[in-house]
Amino acid sequence: MDPRDLELLAELEDGLPFVSEPFSVIGDRIGMSEREVMGRLIRLCDEGIIRRFRARINQRQLGIVANALVAWKCREDLRDEAGARLASCPGVTHCYERTPVPGRWEYTLYSVHHGYSREEVSGEVMKIAQETGLSEFCIMFSTEEYKRVPNVRMKPVGGGA
Amino acid sequence: MPDMQEGTGIPDAVDLQILQALQDDIPLTARPFATLAARLGIAEPLLLTRLTRLHESGIIRGISPIIEARPLGLCAATLVALPAPPPRIHEIAALVSSFPEVSHNFRRDHPYSLWFTLAARNEAELDRILSRILETTGFCRDEILDLRTTRKIKIHVRFPLAGSRRRS
Repeated sequence: MDPRDLELLAELEDGLPFVSEPFSVIGDRIGMSEREVMGRLIRLCDEGIIRRFRARINQRQLGIVANALVAWKCREDLRDEAGARLASCPGVTHCYERTPVPGRWEYTLYSVHHGYSREEVSGEVMKIAQETGLSEFCIMFSTEEYKRVPNVRMKPVGGGA
Repeated sequence: MPDMQEGTGIPDAVDLQILQALQDDIPLTARPFATLAARLGIAEPLLLTRLTRLHESGIIRGISPIIEARPLGLCAATLVALPAPPPRIHEIAALVSSFPEVSHNFRRDHPYSLWFTLAARNEAELDRILSRILETTGFCRDEILDLRTTRKIKIHVRFPLAGSRRRS
């Protein structure tokens, strides 16, 4: 990655303009030809630096208002299998392994679930619990959203609401 | 012509098809919206009009690259939970959100009421940022949860929107 890549990614952070030739418009803003913009983006995708190039959607406005973080207790030897099962679930957008806090918080596997209602999400979580045998878990629904920006930002609040 | 229901901002079937398609990677061609419109069987100008409106109404936050953390030097991340008492939660949440290293900050229905994610170059930097946040908000380490990320199993934000799902 060179400084021009970073400049391009920063320019793209607030999104493509909704015009016929958006990459040409982006290029004009930073003095780069459309051809160079495309070339750099294709390379950044090939190198895995750009993981996805898609719309970020405010799902709450579409009725997908239930958001649950589920913390699971999971035996070390079952972790891979349980993680794979969680990841295979379409309603699960994020799945991570994390360090526990011994004596206070023994959960190590985390999934984020989205759905149209709490009932729907709870039902999905119960089903996964039964299938995986992960019987100790904690569902925490979100009640307020204070900040949500992409994990990786070129500008301090890039891509923010 | 089907249209977003007048004045209500409620997306119609065409909007949902557009939103569904936009959750896949956009084509990296000079005229990506022409390619997308062809796939959806609509005219490019109609697609551009709909996109502009979906963006103005806040349903589309933007179409932009999602960047991998490691190549940019962000190699450490954590999820932190604070037992913020309800009367102080908004004040505490605002302080937490003001840190640029915080990407997500939600209230959840649990005694650990505030949950936020934090990324940094390495574990030591993560420690320093977290210490500053705790100082600012008045919590000590042994009353919070600092759940360091050890493995990312899945990150795939995609919502089934068009037709395939009950909507109520």
